[in-house]
Amino acid sequence: MTGEFEKKYEPTIVVEVHPLDFHTNYGKIRFYCWDTAWQEKFGGLRDGYYIHEQCAIIMFDVTACLTYKNILSWHRDLCRVCENIPIVLCGNKVDVKNRQVKAKMVTFHRKKNLQYYEISAKSNYNFENPFLYLVGKLAGYPNLHFVESPALAPFEDHIDLAQQQLHDKELIDAAAQPLPDHDNESFDKMKDLNHF
Amino acid sequence: MASNDPERREEEEAGETAAGEDEDTGAQIAPIVRLEEVAVTTGEEDEDVLLDLKAKLYRFDKEGNQWKERGTGSVKILKHKETGKVRLVMRQVKTLKICANHLILQSIKLQEHAGNDKSCVWHATDFSDGELKDETFCIRFGSVDNCKLFMETVEKQAEAAGKKEEKESKEADSAAGELEKLSVGETKGEEKAKEEAPTAADEKESESTETKAA
Repeated sequence: MTGEFEKKYEPTIVVEVHPLDFHTNYGKIRFYCWDTAWQEKFGGLRDGYYIHEQCAIIMFDVTACLTYKNILSWHRDLCRVCENIPIVLCGNKVDVKNRQVKAKMVTFHRKKNLQYYEISAKSNYNFENPFLYLVGKLAGYPNLHFVESPALAPFEDHIDLAQQQLHDKELIDAAAQPLPDHDNESFDKMKDLNHF
Repeated sequence: MASNDPERREEEEAGETAAGEDEDTGAQIAPIVRLEEVAVTTGEEDEDVLLDLKAKLYRFDKEGNQWKERGTGSVKILKHKETGKVRLVMRQVKTLKICANHLILQSIKLQEHAGNDKSCVWHATDFSDGELKDETFCIRFGSVDNCKLFMETVEKQAEAAGKKEEKESKEADSAAGELEKLSVGETKGEEKAKEEAPTAADEKESESTETKAA
């Protein structure tokens, strides 16, 4: 949700609602993303979770076949409560070399009229597309796109000497810490991304 | 269902390239909101771009003692056309969200990252979310040259900011002194103001400060 990739998996204890903002040529859009808890381990979510839902993202892991099979019941439960809302299907972890669910094997979205994106939360590949698609559908404007939000002039901040010294020390410590290990490969890819 | 025979439809499309990503396979849905198109303001309109490079930004997570990815996109060094203030603004590619926004002050110190000559680290009071937050950043470029260019540009602007700060603080001191006298003069009558008659040069500066404030 924050754009930061967390390697360690921390199960959600209860349902958490995260606001997620995007600036578009039709103004600022806020998604309230429901991060549901461990209840899904016990036969899916109760209908209460789905009531008044306006759109949905169903995610599976392309490195685990079972997660692809499970989307059937997720979709069924969702559609039982929510009639005709835009739904995006996402195959996550496409950065992994030996994926089990190949792109050609993903056919569920065609049967159920869902939009499909291959994504990687780790490398941020296509991460914006599910949201762009959903907001385009909810507002009904195909030309809707992301725009710059105003970068406000930063307030002036006066730092005293003691703070400055603390920062200097922190800086030395931080500079000695290696960058995330998964980064080397993803940055090499970045060289090719001349379009951004 | 848009298609009466989903299985057959799937067969027909099986020959296509795998999961075409630009095609819309979603259902037709009636919009739930009506929005007006808005004019885009970047907040950068009154600034000159001194530098614009592609990079990847990290912030240091003190609790976890590790670097965390903040975003990939373009980092810009911007100089305000009127105030002359210089800041760093970085936006994420595609979503164009702000991932760094801070002034380049004299106090900024850049340091090379120990394990990587394409990246450097610094501390800043970041304003990305519209509130000031202490952050330690690391930026990584595609080449050593770009990293050098970035460091040189920031250091040069930090030096210039130092000179500017010095000049302004002198001006501000004298102007503040004059303003104080003026306000005292206003409340306590003209006599007091006459007693501490400002010099001509000081008067000029206090005037210019007031104009800016207005």
